Amino acid sequence: MSVSNGHPQRVVVEQGAKVRGGEGVQPSPRFRDRSRVQPGFISTRREVLVYFDSKVSNTFYLLYRLEREQLKPEYLKLNPQHTVPTLVDDGLSLSYLANKYGKGSTLYPEEPRARALVDQRLYFDIGTLYQRFADYFYPQIFGGAPADQGKLQKIEESLKFLDTFLEGQKYVAGPNLTLADLSLIASVSSFEATDIDFKKYSNVKRWYQTVKSTAPGYQEANEKGLEAFKGLVNSMMKK
Amino acid sequence: MSSESAVKLYHFPASGPSRGALLAARAIGVPVQIQTVNLFQKEQLKEDFLKINPQHCVPTLDDDGFVIWESRAIACYLADKYGQDEDDTLYPKDLKQRAVVNQRLYFDASSLYVKIRAICFPILFLGETEIKESLKKDLNSALEFLNEFLETGKWVAGHSLTIADTSIYASLSSILAVGWDISSFPNIQRWIKGCATIPGYAENEEGAKQFGEAVKKNLKTNIK
Repeated sequence: MSVSNGHPQRVVVEQGAKVRGGEGVQPSPRFRDRSRVQPGFISTRREVLVYFDSKVSNTFYLLYRLEREQLKPEYLKLNPQHTVPTLVDDGLSLSYLANKYGKGSTLYPEEPRARALVDQRLYFDIGTLYQRFADYFYPQIFGGAPADQGKLQKIEESLKFLDTFLEGQKYVAGPNLTLADLSLIASVSSFEATDIDFKKYSNVKRWYQTVKSTAPGYQEANEKGLEAFKGLVNSMMKK
Repeated sequence: MSSESAVKLYHFPASGPSRGALLAARAIGVPVQIQTVNLFQKEQLKEDFLKINPQHCVPTLDDDGFVIWESRAIACYLADKYGQDEDDTLYPKDLKQRAVVNQRLYFDASSLYVKIRAICFPILFLGETEIKESLKKDLNSALEFLNEFLETGKWVAGHSLTIADTSIYASLSSILAVGWDISSFPNIQRWIKGCATIPGYAENEEGAKQFGEAVKKNLKTNIK
């Protein structure tokens, strides 16, 4: 869709990579339209690693997605042209892909209660955890603002919530890896580019290690983007 | 579905998201037993409620022992579990239609409501008495998108009422009650008129009014 307010749209880049046999992934029409790349912003986003085990063809699809979300206009002083964020959203992409390619997968269960729990954790990520991270961090790296202790406290609080959700649970929405873990790992791993010590929360630390080692392709999909993000942060903080 | 079995909703009428869950429930037609949690009096921090929801937020749903929060996760759950509309329109099962509804729900969560909250939370709870220009621009940018969504369909996700409409209307009605100017968003104005036909609309207006008054009380100057 186009926004008729004269502002150029920012970027979503989606790459589909074939890992083992099978057909390539058809990107959804929404993403096909976005072809312009704004280099400065690629790493200022969250990445999600999603994989699907297609039981029929026994192939794995690795989807490496870059998206930007909820970047507030006042942080985009690097390029005043790009003041309107694109309409990217985690939930659409993840659940659409899960519904389309992962029927019967435990990644996004169909049973209403199990699904509701995954949804709640996804909204927690986008509305609370990542929201507070962006709110604290982006004014510093983009706006040169000093660290706001009040906002830092809000982040610590959201990590405490996450720690509580993980009490007695292997994954964030129950005994199986779900979209919520993948979404949250992208957010929490971004904390590594900051001095926020999320590993002091024992359940979060344990869960972080578990997901990093059990989410297939994690190294390739998340680590690459995370390194790029760290690089960007370092270069901006030096100014 | 037994008519005696109501779902329990921990609810605060002034809260936009709380009204979002309730409005969805009303549209779906599932009976709701409301348990008020007064956020202005910090009742969400009471021991009993913390046991139910350690994140201490409203709305929180208790469906016969199954507890879930996040207004939009609640709306999706209620639609999937109790939805009886023959045309399956409130939260369609069709993959692409559902994806659009989901996108609108996430838009509300991450782009629209969050900007309303950024304006109102400091005024309600942190002693702020005015609305910064940058926050006004933020919200109006989101409203431009919403206006665009409403260009091609009567409702936010297309031609039928969905739980995306109930979610977004609950959010928007909050800031409208504070006096926000939507004169430059003709599609939103048109859509709002349509929202008056949603079951539970009057109940939502009542809660939004409480919210608006609480905010206006602390604002030094009128928005307009």
